[in-house]
Amino acid sequence: MAESAARSTRIPQPSSPAGWILVGLGAAGFAYLLYAPVLLLESFLRTLGGVFMFATLALAWNIIGGFAGYASFGNVVFFGLGGYTVATLMAKAGWTFWPALVVAGAVGVLFAVLMGLPILRLRGHYFAIATLSVAEGMREIVVNMPSLTGGGAGITIPAVGLEATTSYPGNTGFYYFFLILLLVALAVTWRVSRSRFGYSLRAIHQDEDSAAALGINTTRAKVAAFALSGLLTALTGAIYAFQQVTIYPNRLFSIEFTVLMVVMAVIGGTGTIFGPVVGAVGLQFLSEYLRQNYLELHTVLFGAIIILAVIFLPNGIVESARELRSTKRIRFLDNVKANRL
Amino acid sequence: MEQFLQATINGLLQGGLYALVGVGFSLVWGVIHVVNIAHGAFVILGAYVAWKLDGAFGIDPLLGLVVAAVLLFVIGYAVQRGVINLVINAPIWMTLLLTFGLELLLVNGLILIFTGDYRSIATSYASGGLSFGDVRIPYGRLLAFGLAVLLTGLLAMFMSRSKTGQAINATGMDRVTARLMGINARHIYALTFAISAALAGAAGTMVGIVGTFNPVDAGVFTLRSFVIAVLGGLGNMWGALAGGIVLGLVEAWSGQYLSGTLIHAIGFGVLILVLIVRPTGLLGRPYSEARAET
Repeated sequence: MAESAARSTRIPQPSSPAGWILVGLGAAGFAYLLYAPVLLLESFLRTLGGVFMFATLALAWNIIGGFAGYASFGNVVFFGLGGYTVATLMAKAGWTFWPALVVAGAVGVLFAVLMGLPILRLRGHYFAIATLSVAEGMREIVVNMPSLTGGGAGITIPAVGLEATTSYPGNTGFYYFFLILLLVALAVTWRVSRSRFGYSLRAIHQDEDSAAALGINTTRAKVAAFALSGLLTALTGAIYAFQQVTIYPNRLFSIEFTVLMVVMAVIGGTGTIFGPVVGAVGLQFLSEYLRQNYLELHTVLFGAIIILAVIFLPNGIVESARELRSTKRIRFLDNVKANRL
Repeated sequence: MEQFLQATINGLLQGGLYALVGVGFSLVWGVIHVVNIAHGAFVILGAYVAWKLDGAFGIDPLLGLVVAAVLLFVIGYAVQRGVINLVINAPIWMTLLLTFGLELLLVNGLILIFTGDYRSIATSYASGGLSFGDVRIPYGRLLAFGLAVLLTGLLAMFMSRSKTGQAINATGMDRVTARLMGINARHIYALTFAISAALAGAAGTMVGIVGTFNPVDAGVFTLRSFVIAVLGGLGNMWGALAGGIVLGLVEAWSGQYLSGTLIHAIGFGVLILVLIVRPTGLLGRPYSEARAET
């Protein structure tokens, strides 16, 4: 664990020729994404929006899980809270979307701090289990508060007609919402990665006691990382809820979202800037392909893919690509040897 | 008062069954340091094995229980030896993801084969019961409780008396030193996981005898296992029994006063509280300290 964290602190050199090529490709790709709505089918825009959404979720998980090394298995709680904040404010209080979105973000931060202060004292599996329980418990609470949340039958945001407080942005609108949020998440991750705060988190990941001994306020750093993760996740959940119009607690607090965030970050590369995005793009398209071609089997296949990825790509695609560049080969079996008993 | 007494007895008996569900999970977490998210799927798999044997060949569920346990033992050994052992030194979210992948595979595989319909294993004896005034004790639940206590006791005795049990304990405490003492850690890990899966299979059969099950229930059993393992302290057999009974009682009592699925929230509330206040569990934890785990 310490070893992988140490490797992830290596920052790509933007001054090298390969770095400039990457920057150029990135700029071209970005320009394409901006114009994409003009060029592409509506249905494909929706798929792309989903990819951006999961990339943002994976980046948000990466801050607490990848940088700080705290394996949150309940990040979906922020997603659900963000979504339900927007839905409740728009459906029951007649708010418009934008102020509701701001409140959703605030709820995410507040809940992360309140939940993080006691729970971030736990380490390893205990933290994972505690976060998972908070998410599951929150779902049950939302189910059992039908007057406010609509309960298990769901809640519908007024999106059309006279009832609508904010006109429905459609596929193109949500495409841009998710794209902007992804860029924000990337910028935040990039900033964190190079800041003193980011190095504190990496130090905590490698050895928390030593980090504390070096004068890092570990509690503050961990809670801040959790709050940042919660903020981005809650904002994503808020936009997702508006896109879905009708939301259900079993969907919005689904453990599947948490697992997807973690899987995408892990497959791409935890503790890196682009890893979670790479993982999200790869896995979303793969999942979409499986869903279309193997309707019944697709969840089973997905389970098998997770197992294989964990065994053979434990360092993630980004790290493996770097390895490929420097040693001209990917050592799948060496990865296995490093982690096996 | 009678209602309360009945709820208490139901909770106590149900708690015994929960203990059987959770004890193997606790063992694996304590010894191998793996949180097996697929544990609930093993429970359900056991239930389907006994159900199928009963339905297709008319084999009595109590014999089916033995078959289910043996089959799950073999599967568990293979899974640990062939798959989980490969990522044992990776960061913890890797093993969590791996077992989640396994859960997806098993649960959706079971749905494909048996559909998502609710099933139950019908027996001639489970429906009868003892009556004391208005309080009733169904035989099926009594049997499940007795079996849970028996198996937990046998496991505790195996762990403390037998050489293999002591090897498992030693490996859980310090794998490196255990290997230096000539213990084959790969085999011990696989054996521990196999025992856990076998107990899950036995528990699943009893779940099928006293009530209904379907593949999607797997998640609920895994979550209950979390609660039981943490309440009881990891790798602590009698602790798991105590944890199971506490969970059964809390669920039964809160079911009297709370509506619907809110009792699950109570379970999670208890779990989070115990984690924060007393992470070593009710009866303490024999292995390393919870907060120092890396």
